[in-house]
Amino acid sequence: MRIATAKQTYLADESLFDTRTQHVWLALLAASLALFPFVADAYWLYLACLVAINVASATGLNILTGYTGLVSLGQAAFMGLGAYTVAVMELRLGTPVLINLLGGGVVAMVGGLLVGIPSLRVKGLYLAIATIAASFIAHFIFANWQFTGGTTGLQVPPARLLGVDLDTSFKIYWLIVPVTVLMVLGAANLFRTRIGRAFIAIRDRDISAEVLGIRLLRYKLLSFGLSSFYAGVAGGLWAYFFRVVTPESFPLIMSIFFLAAIIVGGMGSILGSILGAIFMTMVPELLKLIVGWLPVGGDALRLVSPVRTIVFGLLIVGFLIFEPHGLAEIWRRVRRFFHLWPFRT
Amino acid sequence: MKRIRLGSGLSRLLAPLGLAAALSAAPIAQAADDLVLGGSIPLSGVFAFAGQGIHAGITDYVKIINDQGGIKGRKLRYVPEDTAYKVDASVAAFKKITSQNKVNFYYGDSTGFSKTINAELNRTGDILMTGASFATELNDPAKYPAQFMLGPDYTEMFGILLRYIAKEKPGAKVAFVYSDTEFGRDPIAGSRALAEKLGLKVATEIMTAPGSVDVSTEVIKLRRADPDFTIFHGYVLAPIPEFVGQGKRMGLKTRYMGTFWTMDNSTVMQMGEDAEGFMGVMPYRYYYDTEGDSPMLKKIREMRPQYQSTGYMQGFLAAMLFSEVAKRTLDAGKDLTAANMKAALDGIKDFDTGGLIGVPISIKGNSIPVGRIYRADVKLKQMVPASDWIVLK
Repeated sequence: MRIATAKQTYLADESLFDTRTQHVWLALLAASLALFPFVADAYWLYLACLVAINVASATGLNILTGYTGLVSLGQAAFMGLGAYTVAVMELRLGTPVLINLLGGGVVAMVGGLLVGIPSLRVKGLYLAIATIAASFIAHFIFANWQFTGGTTGLQVPPARLLGVDLDTSFKIYWLIVPVTVLMVLGAANLFRTRIGRAFIAIRDRDISAEVLGIRLLRYKLLSFGLSSFYAGVAGGLWAYFFRVVTPESFPLIMSIFFLAAIIVGGMGSILGSILGAIFMTMVPELLKLIVGWLPVGGDALRLVSPVRTIVFGLLIVGFLIFEPHGLAEIWRRVRRFFHLWPFRT
Repeated sequence: MKRIRLGSGLSRLLAPLGLAAALSAAPIAQAADDLVLGGSIPLSGVFAFAGQGIHAGITDYVKIINDQGGIKGRKLRYVPEDTAYKVDASVAAFKKITSQNKVNFYYGDSTGFSKTINAELNRTGDILMTGASFATELNDPAKYPAQFMLGPDYTEMFGILLRYIAKEKPGAKVAFVYSDTEFGRDPIAGSRALAEKLGLKVATEIMTAPGSVDVSTEVIKLRRADPDFTIFHGYVLAPIPEFVGQGKRMGLKTRYMGTFWTMDNSTVMQMGEDAEGFMGVMPYRYYYDTEGDSPMLKKIREMRPQYQSTGYMQGFLAAMLFSEVAKRTLDAGKDLTAANMKAALDGIKDFDTGGLIGVPISIKGNSIPVGRIYRADVKLKQMVPASDWIVLK
């Protein structure tokens, strides 16, 4: 049973991962991520890449919604901005992959800053509606601007890194997963800084935060900017992964998907973003596998497919009722169980 | 509030998922010489109405082929996955099916999927694909060498409609009403030029949101243009009934027309009395059509006594053409590579579909540019032929 964590230096007190157990588990996780492409088939690699992209975007949304308390339904639009920027840079400028991704993030960030301006005046559902407007405007631009290929969209050549075309799930895994890991670590670190703590103060009570000297507009805009940057980079990865970007690639429902991911995973928790993105991406796929084994005679796939959608919906509702703090809270309880074992909370 | 404990909730949640992951990795038994037809099929979601028919059509033709002993002794095996009409789910299905089977043919569910997976098809070079999309962009053998479509592309569908109009009423005024989607905008630019070439006048173009409900201002615009024919595209049903109903009440004399996805008999008949006279282009014959010699339609009616949708016909034709391609490629003693199979497909000239399409068909480019104009007869509750088969050169 763990009794306490004695911190003897300031450095130890400031470290992101502070126990030996955490270090061991993180090393195991890193080793698993590195080994995974060598043991998984194309299907699982595809899903791993998709999960990683969704984790990156969900983490961005969690910075804004979970940590700063600003609801947004514009995440898909910002991903679209990033994806189109990467596609255009790749096709017209031929700049290196990492520069393109950075460009995608920056353009999305600018979009986020613009959309974030109303956040000083409106909150909650009102802000959510304001961010929906971003989706409509972005869709209009994507569909009508010659530069973005109109409704046909743009076909993106494979990402090229160190002279290698990343044209299979195996190859592009080595771009997507490391970038996502860096972004997640960046977000985790953010909340140990003055900026991150200002976000949390704004979420908890913005008037009190202002009294404490936190400039609301600056930090709210910064939160929008950072969140959109994450979405932009995730969108860029998306563009390299699917290699086709059209105005219909980033519908409003995608923003709802990410909002659902952070609610199911756990608002205001980096782990929640990861678990939520995994849940929302993987559960429909795993339900497919499960229904495939059900003893339904005849044409099982045709009969059971609609049921799967219902089960997925019920699972989400179930989480909201039985664990409103999300999957991250379940994980915390699991950890606590082992920390306190053999005693029970 | 009830708490979920490690020993109960979590393990109950994770156990089936873990089991699923473990078992999915297990290899699937497959006869080495099976011909595999994979499919990203929208069995749930917004496009399920079509996906269910497509699935049934493919299943039935695969059964017919296998009951006859397969193709040169090799069984045809259909491996579908539900996609709910989402591109990422379609790609996941493709990856899953191709990593567990040696796939020869594939059916894709959307334009988005066809475009997304094209790079993978070109890279691997061993799968021939068709699907639900009739996007004009896909009708490009240089860019999409491993794909084809099961009828005319959307611009060709407009071409068939415009040729019919030009013949019926030379110099007629036409209106294009389309959705603000890639699907909706697809044939508009090309068809504008063709209309002019055929001596028709495009009186107005109206773009609406897909599935929009209130179209009263657009109907007024249509009345102002007073076209002889109004062609809808990029919708399944809504907002067509609104346009037709309001137009009739305003005394518009225009004749309304649709393209493939609007033209299922049950879809048109949902308009009720307003459906009377609604016309459109259809590359296949309807389930109930008994005109002439049509052994394959007869067979379908024997297998399924109830009405089957136009989606069913499309799925059935997909499996039929895949089978013909496999037969021709194997007969020529060639490997089943995408290039060889596409060459075999391109070699199909004047192919008899057993009545599924009213004239012998040939592949041109990546499409089958043939169709017929049908008209709704509300008393019969059926779409009936309004023209002969029109084959684009």
